[in-house]
Amino acid sequence: MQEFLQQVVSGLATGGIFASLALALVLIYNAMGLVNFAQGEMAMFATFLALVLIDHGVSYWIAFPLTLAIAFAGGVVIQRVVIRPVERAPVLTLVIVTLGLATLVNGMAGFLFGYVPRSFPSPFSAQTVNILGALASYQDLGVIAVSGVVLVLIYLLLQRTTLGLALRAASHHPEASRLLGIRVSWMLALGWGLASAVGAVSGMMAAPILLLQPNMMQTVIIYAFAAAVLGGIESPLGAVVGGLIVGVTVNLAGAYVPGVGGDLQLAVAFAIIIAVLVLKPNGLFGRAAVRRV
Amino acid sequence: MRFLRQAPARYALVLIVIVFFVGLPTVVTSFQSSEWTQVLIFAIVIMGLNILVGYSGQISLGHGALMALGAYTTAILVHRYSLDYLATIPIAGLLTGIVGFFLGIPALRLSALYLALATFALAVVTPSLIKRPEQLTGGVRGIELLPPQPPQFVNDAFTAVTGTASMTSDQWLYYLCLAIALALFWLAWNLVRHRPGRALRAIRDGEVAAAAFGVNVAGYKTLAFAVSAFYAGIAGSLYGLSIGYVSPDTFPVSLSFQVLVGAVIGGLASIPGPLLGGIFTFWLPIVSNQFVGSQDWIPAQVVSVFKNAGPAVSYGVLLILIMIFAPRGLVGLIVSGYAWLQGRVRGAAERGTGHAPPDAQTV
Amino acid sequence: MTALLELEGVHAGYGQTRVLHGVSLSVGEGDIVSLLGANGAGKTTTLRAITGGVHWDGSIAFGGRSLRRLTTEDVIRLGVAHVPEGRGVLTELTVDENLRVGAYLRRDAAAVARDYDRVFDLFPILRERRHLSASTLSGGEQQMLALARALLMRPKLMLLDEPSLGLAPLVVRRIFDVIREINQTDRVAILLVEQNARMALELSTQAYVLEVGRVAVQGPSSQLKGEESVRRSYLGY
Repeated sequence: MQEFLQQVVSGLATGGIFASLALALVLIYNAMGLVNFAQGEMAMFATFLALVLIDHGVSYWIAFPLTLAIAFAGGVVIQRVVIRPVERAPVLTLVIVTLGLATLVNGMAGFLFGYVPRSFPSPFSAQTVNILGALASYQDLGVIAVSGVVLVLIYLLLQRTTLGLALRAASHHPEASRLLGIRVSWMLALGWGLASAVGAVSGMMAAPILLLQPNMMQTVIIYAFAAAVLGGIESPLGAVVGGLIVGVTVNLAGAYVPGVGGDLQLAVAFAIIIAVLVLKPNGLFGRAAVRRV
Repeated sequence: MRFLRQAPARYALVLIVIVFFVGLPTVVTSFQSSEWTQVLIFAIVIMGLNILVGYSGQISLGHGALMALGAYTTAILVHRYSLDYLATIPIAGLLTGIVGFFLGIPALRLSALYLALATFALAVVTPSLIKRPEQLTGGVRGIELLPPQPPQFVNDAFTAVTGTASMTSDQWLYYLCLAIALALFWLAWNLVRHRPGRALRAIRDGEVAAAAFGVNVAGYKTLAFAVSAFYAGIAGSLYGLSIGYVSPDTFPVSLSFQVLVGAVIGGLASIPGPLLGGIFTFWLPIVSNQFVGSQDWIPAQVVSVFKNAGPAVSYGVLLILIMIFAPRGLVGLIVSGYAWLQGRVRGAAERGTGHAPPDAQTV
Repeated sequence: MTALLELEGVHAGYGQTRVLHGVSLSVGEGDIVSLLGANGAGKTTTLRAITGGVHWDGSIAFGGRSLRRLTTEDVIRLGVAHVPEGRGVLTELTVDENLRVGAYLRRDAAAVARDYDRVFDLFPILRERRHLSASTLSGGEQQMLALARALLMRPKLMLLDEPSLGLAPLVVRRIFDVIREINQTDRVAILLVEQNARMALELSTQAYVLEVGRVAVQGPSSQLKGEESVRRSYLGY
């Protein structure tokens, strides 16, 4: 039983990482009806920037928010320069653009930082603490806490501020929002900036575990897709819940189902995606197709 | 492209292209022939992808995985069951086609984006899935394939024409791929020209309307998936034969992405598109590196940056630029370029005669 | 004295199709002007041109300032509210959130709060449904929401596109009463596009009748109301 609880806690921690990246995906999906295939790469790149700061002596808890700010700015710039010209293009074009962006960012990271895996510091100690008879590491708990804080902040921003209101209005009803004086184009850029920052959180939480290298997020993004699809691709809450479920499920499958090792955990995520898309395409919290006006 | 609409001109152009490809190995080295073999293989899978994406409007980011299936089918049948490699090619195609059909069924329920996601996930997972059944697939090490030797009569014909001592395996493979590519092109062309093509186009342009007109939407969409998978399977089989081995690493996600990009860049729903796409997919990384290296005005540091990170970075940048400025691909670019030229010519003629251009329609 | 809104020789269309062929009209401060005509005459296109939703040629000036090359948001920020065909209600948000978006551009919190109360007094149903999704409102209620939201914008000019469309006569009455009140109390100028010509003429001071993209008839509403030939040929009654 203890072992089971430990696996669950561990799963919640990885789930927190998935949830953050999934939330980034959902934010952009809400803004423009497209899944950003480059989200993982952008998160990885931001994490490398954080490492550069830390290597230059900046303390972790200053580098962290600084990186988020840089990631935010980067997201805005990418939306303005790369995405805006193709805003109204069909899905296929957008898919290719984001995949091209992913290739580009991955290549840049490879060139600037090399392919040797680097260790990334975690602000949480590796010590364990006893909860309900099970051992949970501060590391895991820390990840859960940080993810939780980020998610709550995003929720507050979206639901309780005027800016968040404008962002939501622009996301779902771009034309009508223009007629209310909202600068829709800048709201989309804001969405990208937020998504980029949230993705950076995911990267910085994943790096201590996975070791930082350009291909670090390539599997994480599949899990994030699974989480977003499971939760309902339009629902931020769904991304969170989905992330936690995927994290726990994949962890338990790896621990208890014979033959499922690191490689095949990915297949579990794939199975989740397919199962959801076939059985309940709207996910847990999604609604039927949204008409955008 | 008005002159090309006239059949004689069009057929002449096709003939020229065919003659070019048939004659190619006689004038270039064996290695260069093998490069063009890759172009043809890409063209084959892109032909299939074109039917799926360009004509039926469904996205697939997983055709690399289907190629893997075709390649491994051939590899396993040859290696473990000692089948003749030639026989395995259609088997690979059919098997992959059937799998494609069964993929097409759940795909019916997915919107464009979800389909892209699902096929992307498939492509990512495929290397892991291949590694698992080690007995069958050789696991991480993969399976080696002996280079196929040309049949005697082909060898004799080739040496008679070119005067070389013997035909290499690369050259034989080239002609094999060329023959298959031509046959598959003819098949695709006929599919597109007749009812299936019209039905698919109707579906792509508006499913609801197509259904209202009695088009069997579900049937044709799964058919498109099956056919495109068939092409991918054959291409994969040839791919394995041409490289000489198959392993999980020969079919990464980027392959699926590359062929889709090739289809789009070449020009969707067009006849020459797949060939242009194949050329683009294979030659771009090579050409861009050589081009940048040869430009004197680019400082050396930039060149070395380019060559290191270059392939990925320049590919990504180029892709984005093309999607922004020429989303209809090379064929689209040529067509619009021609139309623009025509407009200039006509405008000049009209200025000469003093007639005003026709007024915009009013409602 | 220049009018608040001045259109001169406006041509507009969608792609190859030209819809407006040289439309000229003006709306003075505090005026109610109706824009009438059959379906397809170009009434909606005229409103769209004003708020930058369609390409146009000619001259459009608001408060003396040319609207050329301004984005939709910029025109709105000059003090124009546009309630489009279909009302533009943000159905993904609640009623309250819709109203808050209406007040998005305003900085005077106290006045906004007063306007909220006023809006709820004018349309009590909105107070009842305040925290429900806007998609649960009926057509008439959505029209009220759209109007309330426009009011909260405190514009100088309101463009209303067929507010009576699809609504029961009693509801239409109420809506038009509110429109009249907004105009009289707040001195908001109104450009009203309507197919219900009779009600529009009763409400407005000036009227323009569009036919196939051109102004066929214009004049004081009282005059057009009285002239039988105009009514029969252009207004269908």
